[in-house]
Amino acid sequence: MNEKINYWKIFKNGLFSENPVFRLALSLCPAVAVTSGVKNGFLMGVAVLFVQTMSNITVSIIRNFIHPRVRIPSYIFIIATWVTVTDLLMAAYARDVYKDMGLYIQLIVAFAIILSRLESFASKKNVLPSGVDGLGMGVGFLLALVLIGFVRELLGKGALWGYQFTPSKPLLIMILPTGGFFVMGLLMGLFNWIDRRFFGGKTTAEVHMEGHKHGSH
Amino acid sequence: MKEMFKIVISLFAIFVGSGLVLSYVYARTSTVIYNAQVREKEEALRKMSPEAEKIEEAGKWTLYEKPNEYYEAKKGNKVIGYVASTVGKGYSSYIKILVSTDPDIKIKSIDILSHQETPGLGDEIEKEDFKKQFGGKTLENLELVKVETTDKIQAISGATISSRAVTNGVKEAVKILNETYRKGPSKE
Repeated sequence: MNEKINYWKIFKNGLFSENPVFRLALSLCPAVAVTSGVKNGFLMGVAVLFVQTMSNITVSIIRNFIHPRVRIPSYIFIIATWVTVTDLLMAAYARDVYKDMGLYIQLIVAFAIILSRLESFASKKNVLPSGVDGLGMGVGFLLALVLIGFVRELLGKGALWGYQFTPSKPLLIMILPTGGFFVMGLLMGLFNWIDRRFFGGKTTAEVHMEGHKHGSH
Repeated sequence: MKEMFKIVISLFAIFVGSGLVLSYVYARTSTVIYNAQVREKEEALRKMSPEAEKIEEAGKWTLYEKPNEYYEAKKGNKVIGYVASTVGKGYSSYIKILVSTDPDIKIKSIDILSHQETPGLGDEIEKEDFKKQFGGKTLENLELVKVETTDKIQAISGATISSRAVTNGVKEAVKILNETYRKGPSKE
């Protein structure tokens, strides 16, 4: 425990080598559902970033009080608390956003990525590294959603962040769920290719084989 | 037995902690949320009948088991129009709609308040081109067709179900207003 902790490495881990969507392949459901545009993806990313970081910190602080045999219900309860806080704050102070996102916010409770980070990181580490891990995973998730949203909105609507710049819709299928799977799969492949080609990394499948056996949502 | 006791204590402490956090946040936000909802509703109504001095609730009705209201828009003591909230059963959601009419129950305008229709297809019901078709229509004109038309409502290509949902929702609202405010037998 005395060795110096490399916070940058923990943060970067969530962005690339263990990116929640492209590498860990967790929380793919929202990655398809809310990425019909950059804006929705970004806002969802921010909400997840907040919930992930706060849950990580909370679990890390009270990790010695959580009874190991009821840790999953405890984690879920902590996540649900922060999700409800996010929900209420957004409903009160970000009405416009809430009208678009309200439905999805409450689903964050069931996002596999959050529970998985609590179990595999926050429940074993100190507060600061846990917070940094939450930030890294949150930003990684946010970037993944924005990237998918960028491709889908650009090709599907000919728009970005809601600003239309082609009169027609180039590839309508991209904003339908089908297109979400296409884009996510192709980007995941691209991530794997870059990692293997330039950094000698492993594929998503291999990361999964080694790692813990999470259920994916 | 001791183990069980520990589990109960641990869970109980977490639940109480969460409860405290939530009750604090709720206490701080609930009035803000309530006020925002009331204001949004008023603004939406005022937008439907901008020349009215006040818009008063005149009754309630239900459609697809959803509660709706209708309002009288008044200037002085004179009724200058009616506004009704209504819903349409869309492709993937209930579409909430406001309809405003003149005193003869001829539609002035409609507005889509909220929906969860398919992005890129069904959400075109929000576009002005579609909504302004309803202006000037009466009950007998409210019919959805798939060809170009001026006296009926033209469906959005690729979003027939959403278009029909809006048309039917508006139609039901106009029917209710007709039944309530037209004297004598309806001209349907």
